[in-house]
Amino acid sequence: MNSDLNVSFELDGKTVEVQAGETLLAACRKTCTEVPTLCHDDRLDPYGGCRMCLVELEGAPRPVPACKTTAAKGMKVTSQSPMLERVRRTMAEMLMTEHTSGNGVQVDGLEECAKELGVGAMPIKFENPRTWEDRNRFLAFDPGACILCDRCVRYCDEVMQCTALEHVGQGSEAFIQPTDGASFLDTSCELCGGCISTCPTGALYEKQATAPIAETEATRSVCTFCGVGCVLDIHTKDGKVVKISSEEGSGPNDGHLCNKGRFAWQFIHHKDRLTHPLVRNAQGELEETTWEIAYSRVVEGLSAVKKKYGADSIGFLASSRCTNEDVYALQKLARSAVGTNNVHSCAAT
Amino acid sequence: MEEIENTDCMLVVGSNTTEAHPVLALRMKKAMRKGAHLIVVDPRRTWLAERAEVHLQLRPGTDIPLMNAFAYVILEEGLADNTYIENLTENFDEFAAAAKEWPPERAAELCEVSADDIRKAARLYAKTDKAGIYYTLGITEHVCGVDNVRSLSNLALVTGHLGRESVGVNPLRGQNNVQGCNDVGNNPVYFPGYQEVADPEAHAKFSKVWGKELSKTPGLRLDQMMDGMHDGRLKAFYVMGEDPVVSEPNAKHVESGFEQVEFVVCQDIFLNETSRIYADVVLPSTCFAEKDGTFTNSERRVQRVRKALDPPGEARADLQILHELAAALGDDWGPADPETVWNEFADYSPRFFGIRYPRIETFGLQWPCPELDHPGTKFLHEGAPMRGKGKFYGLDHVPAWEEPDEDYPFLLTTGRTLYHYNAATQTARSEGHMDKQDRCFVEIAPADARDLGIEDGSDLKVESRRGVITVQAKVTDAVHPGVLWMPMHFAEARANVLTGDGKDPEIGTPEYKVTAVRLLT
Repeated sequence: MNSDLNVSFELDGKTVEVQAGETLLAACRKTCTEVPTLCHDDRLDPYGGCRMCLVELEGAPRPVPACKTTAAKGMKVTSQSPMLERVRRTMAEMLMTEHTSGNGVQVDGLEECAKELGVGAMPIKFENPRTWEDRNRFLAFDPGACILCDRCVRYCDEVMQCTALEHVGQGSEAFIQPTDGASFLDTSCELCGGCISTCPTGALYEKQATAPIAETEATRSVCTFCGVGCVLDIHTKDGKVVKISSEEGSGPNDGHLCNKGRFAWQFIHHKDRLTHPLVRNAQGELEETTWEIAYSRVVEGLSAVKKKYGADSIGFLASSRCTNEDVYALQKLARSAVGTNNVHSCAAT
Repeated sequence: MEEIENTDCMLVVGSNTTEAHPVLALRMKKAMRKGAHLIVVDPRRTWLAERAEVHLQLRPGTDIPLMNAFAYVILEEGLADNTYIENLTENFDEFAAAAKEWPPERAAELCEVSADDIRKAARLYAKTDKAGIYYTLGITEHVCGVDNVRSLSNLALVTGHLGRESVGVNPLRGQNNVQGCNDVGNNPVYFPGYQEVADPEAHAKFSKVWGKELSKTPGLRLDQMMDGMHDGRLKAFYVMGEDPVVSEPNAKHVESGFEQVEFVVCQDIFLNETSRIYADVVLPSTCFAEKDGTFTNSERRVQRVRKALDPPGEARADLQILHELAAALGDDWGPADPETVWNEFADYSPRFFGIRYPRIETFGLQWPCPELDHPGTKFLHEGAPMRGKGKFYGLDHVPAWEEPDEDYPFLLTTGRTLYHYNAATQTARSEGHMDKQDRCFVEIAPADARDLGIEDGSDLKVESRRGVITVQAKVTDAVHPGVLWMPMHFAEARANVLTGDGKDPEIGTPEYKVTAVRLLT
């Protein structure tokens, strides 16, 4: 790292050094200084909407949002003080009055943050009459849990550049909706679910999810729907997929997924899945059998062909979607166990 | 992949990135927001094309003349990187002579684009220091697929756009493990780790590792296997996770081939068109969420796949099936443990030696990675091309296997959509995806639709010399008159019923991108 490009400043009485252009929030995170935020997502432009990350800056007339303030040489910044705590608690209280608990499909960042600050539930009932016709099966919206931080709208504009969501109205009349109040299926929405992934409160959540996130177990794996190799988390409960998500900062995808990666998992539990080996019977129909019989049929079949025509009359074909280990084993089966180099896949790119 | 965000110019050729690689396209979108130039070469007006500074909407199958015309402009206007050419390349004269044959005006006529646009695009690409080329199947699925790729690498070499961050010639892999499949030796002429079957040393090495004298005969490529079913070379087929009847070109030819084969085994998670009709034995296996292992992505990054669920019923992990079968065939490989299998591969494949499970626990590594403490390789050809000198190729136009004519006047080209994947065995089982797109369609230009009296949304028969399918007409000016476009995903209207036998002579990649068809209303 070129030290000319670094700036040093004072954070809570200690000198810290960050790269030029980095925000105070980034500096706080690097130094493990806890500053709450709700409207910030590293993948989006700095916004400064929720005011939870206010810090004191010497010489500034009032606290500044850490997420939107670039670190500069010689700054003196205070991230923790009784005054800041009061301000953060007030901000949390204000948000909590307009917030009802979601259904738990997502983590509720506001409630977690409020709990930290000792703020309990205090909703004032707001009528939120605005709903829209919605036939899509992936994206669900709970307006009560929404805190109007616009992360979903900004994600859709900045990252996806789809402009399928909008923030309409002002003050207590404000709300989020699919553009022009249409169904998601009738907008430019590509059903990527990125809005869900960035929503801090769980106001946007997976319609398909069958259990609260807290009750699931996450397994980190890799998507199979193209060659990008998005890292994802498969959330399961009782042997079933509940939902699929991806964590910001993980993998080549930095937490982004597309509609297939996030939502196309019903096939895993589909009734058409094969659950028993099948062999073709004398009538020419496939019928269920045991693994022993299936294996012996394979051995008989391959051996007979090998004996009659030689090993090179047998071909092996693997999908480019299998794992490296599976495919390694298949080519070894062909080369070592059967004795032919006839192994290939539909690898065309 | 994060390199893409920092590029200053993207030349996207034959790739509908926002639909086929949506998450990678986010990097491109970010680069665009930062002001990067975008040039798109595509017969369709895609999302990216609509936003491109230059969109060269070429006639499918004319990539080489177009790239030669780029080179013509670059050489004519003195935009070449002469130092790079002199020091790090070879065969320049042959390339320059071939490029000289294609002034933009000549290419413009054949490619059906404007000569001014060619000049503008060539200048943008050549003059921008950090300029990268991104391509996919629009380049490779042609009779001249290999030469198409070479025509792109010519451009990178002549401008010196290679071996640094955010430049190069970047293929975007269509399937999650295309890269890995080749890496681990699922190839008729390579053992694992790109060690040639024809190389006596490699042959001796693997014969020793596996404890038996292996065959020295090079194997059959997929397309040769398809032909082999007809000419008697192939009598048995073991198919793992594939549906050749749907995915290989010229479906009738494939089906009649399978009818002549004596024994077929299919190992899969669903029954498919191939196994339903031709399999003698079907072995139920696992999907990605039900097994441990690794995939290797488009940037050569090996990443961990982890088991989240048990397989349904009596289905077994693919690795377990293969090990048990090997044992039944008298070849004992020991327990079917993915990490042990990976280690066997890495132990004997020098470029992969340094990649081990504990090292890729949190983040994958990019090969080449020859040592256990090697950090992996972000981009290739650093300093100089890997083969020593980058080779230029003198290339000329190669006509498609089947060009439109009086009887079959339309040129049909195919591709992927955002909402489905390949043969859609998985996405068609997702109601939410079917809501968005539930049947096959063909894009047709408004002028053509008017001439033939075709209305948007009406049923339409598309017929080639091989077969006929019924699809829905989608009238759109995204395609030029005379050109049709169709997705490849739908089992009830398979594009491969139409596609022909054209393929690249060097590697056998089928020409899915050009088929002559006619329309019956």
